[in-house]
Parts: sequence; structure tokens; C-alpha cells
Amino acid sequence: MKQQTKLSEEQQQQQRAAEQQTQKQSAREFANAEEMLRYDAAHTTVPPGIAQRLRKSTGQTSAPPPRSWWRNLLGR
Amino acid sequence: MNEPAAGCEFVAEPPADLATPEFSRLYAENSRAIYYLALRFLGDPQKAEDATHDVFLKAFRKLDQFRGEASLRTWLYRIAINHCQNLRQGWHDRHVFSNADDAVWENTTAGTDSPLRVLEIKELGQRIQKTLDGLPDEYRLLLLLVADEELSYEQVGALVGQSPDAVRGKLHRARKTFAALFKKTA
Repeated sequence: MKQQTKLSEEQQQQQRAAEQQTQKQSAREFANAEEMLRYDAAHTTVPPGIAQRLRKSTGQTSAPPPRSWWRNLLGR
Repeated sequence: MNEPAAGCEFVAEPPADLATPEFSRLYAENSRAIYYLALRFLGDPQKAEDATHDVFLKAFRKLDQFRGEASLRTWLYRIAINHCQNLRQGWHDRHVFSNADDAVWENTTAGTDSPLRVLEIKELGQRIQKTLDGLPDEYRLLLLLVADEELSYEQVGALVGQSPDAVRGKLHRARKTFAALFKKTA
């Protein structure tokens, strides 16, 4: 019984140590706001629904007409 | 231990098979930057998704009008900023941030020069959003644009209608205000 208690204490200690380690690993420092925003942006996923919707919308919209020869010639 | 968050940039999305190869490339290279701006500027994932779709649809329709005077990224940002500002215009009354409030934040000096530390990365997005929501529109937009390493101060200045020197000056105040507000979100 006593051995069981000791074991559970050890387990608890190990668990606490593991939690502390996790917390340390997830702690981060950012020098300024932009650095933090950059990190946040890099971990932001673009919803795949946008590309799906665009596929439909651009299918319904006629593609932009090619530049006319005189625009190309005049560079306008 | 605490690690510096270096090397975080707007990574291109995998190519989406869209109407034309040029448009697919445009989307792959810029969708993350545009979605992130819309997300953090509007503060609503669904509205950001709609806005990003609308921005790229506008770009698709007007691609032939792109004159190459600015980079494509800057051109897309301009469309996105106009679009998001128009959307926010409707909610303006509920999100008024007076100059008096601005002064309060700018006069906050306690610990705003120390690094910004977060223990739980999973909460970071929520805290960033809360902080950005408390900033004046001008500061919010400035910080979001400066965070994009592809943009120079000149390009950011052109997008917000300020000189590069004014951008640097305002950026200093925006950082300070952000840091003060961010610490209150803990």
C-alpha cells in the first residue's frame, strides 16, 4: 500500500516535470509586435474553401481579355 | 527555454488549380498574406474568408489593368485594404476609438520596451486579435503591413498614404501601444 503511494508520488513528480517542460517549450519571446504577427501569420492556415469558391467564381466570370495589339505597341 | 521567433514569413500556399496558371500562381504566392491581413483587420474568420475571395476575384477581373508600377503583392494589398475598410465602415459606430483613448495608451510606459513573452502559443492568436481590436485602425494596419517582410517602408508608406519617415515614427508608437495592450490581455 505504502509502496503504491510512493509510486504514485513519483509518477506525480514526473508528470509535473513533464508539464513544466511542455510549458517551457511553448514559451516564446518576441522582440516586437511585427515579429509576433509574423509568427502568427506563418501558423495561420488559409481555408481551402477560398480556392474552391474562386474556382467557381472565376469559371462564371469571363477571363480578362488579352491586351490589344495597339496597347502592347504603345505600352499602355 | 524561450526561443526567438526568427524565420517566420509568409510562406506560399500550395498551388491551387484556378482559372489560369498566372492566377493560380498569384493566389499561391499571396493568399496567406491577404487572408492574414483580412483576418486580423476584420477579426472574424468567416468575414476574412469572404473578403479574401472577393479580393482575388476583383484581382482576376482587373488583372489586365495591372500596370506593373507596383508589385503584385502591393497591388493586392491595396485592393484588400479598400475592401476591408469598406466592410469596417459599416461597423464604425460600434468600434470608435477616440484620440483620448489613444493618448492613454501612448502614455503607458510600464514595461513596453521588454520583449513580448507568451507561455501558451495556442492562445497567441486570441491575444493578438484582442490587442489589435483595441488599436486605432491606423496602427493596426501599419503593424500588419510592416509584418510582411516583402514590403519596404516605402511600399507600406504608399499603401497607407504616408512618407517612409512618417511610417517609421508611427510604427514606434504603434509597437509601444501594441505592447501595452498585449500585456493587459494576459
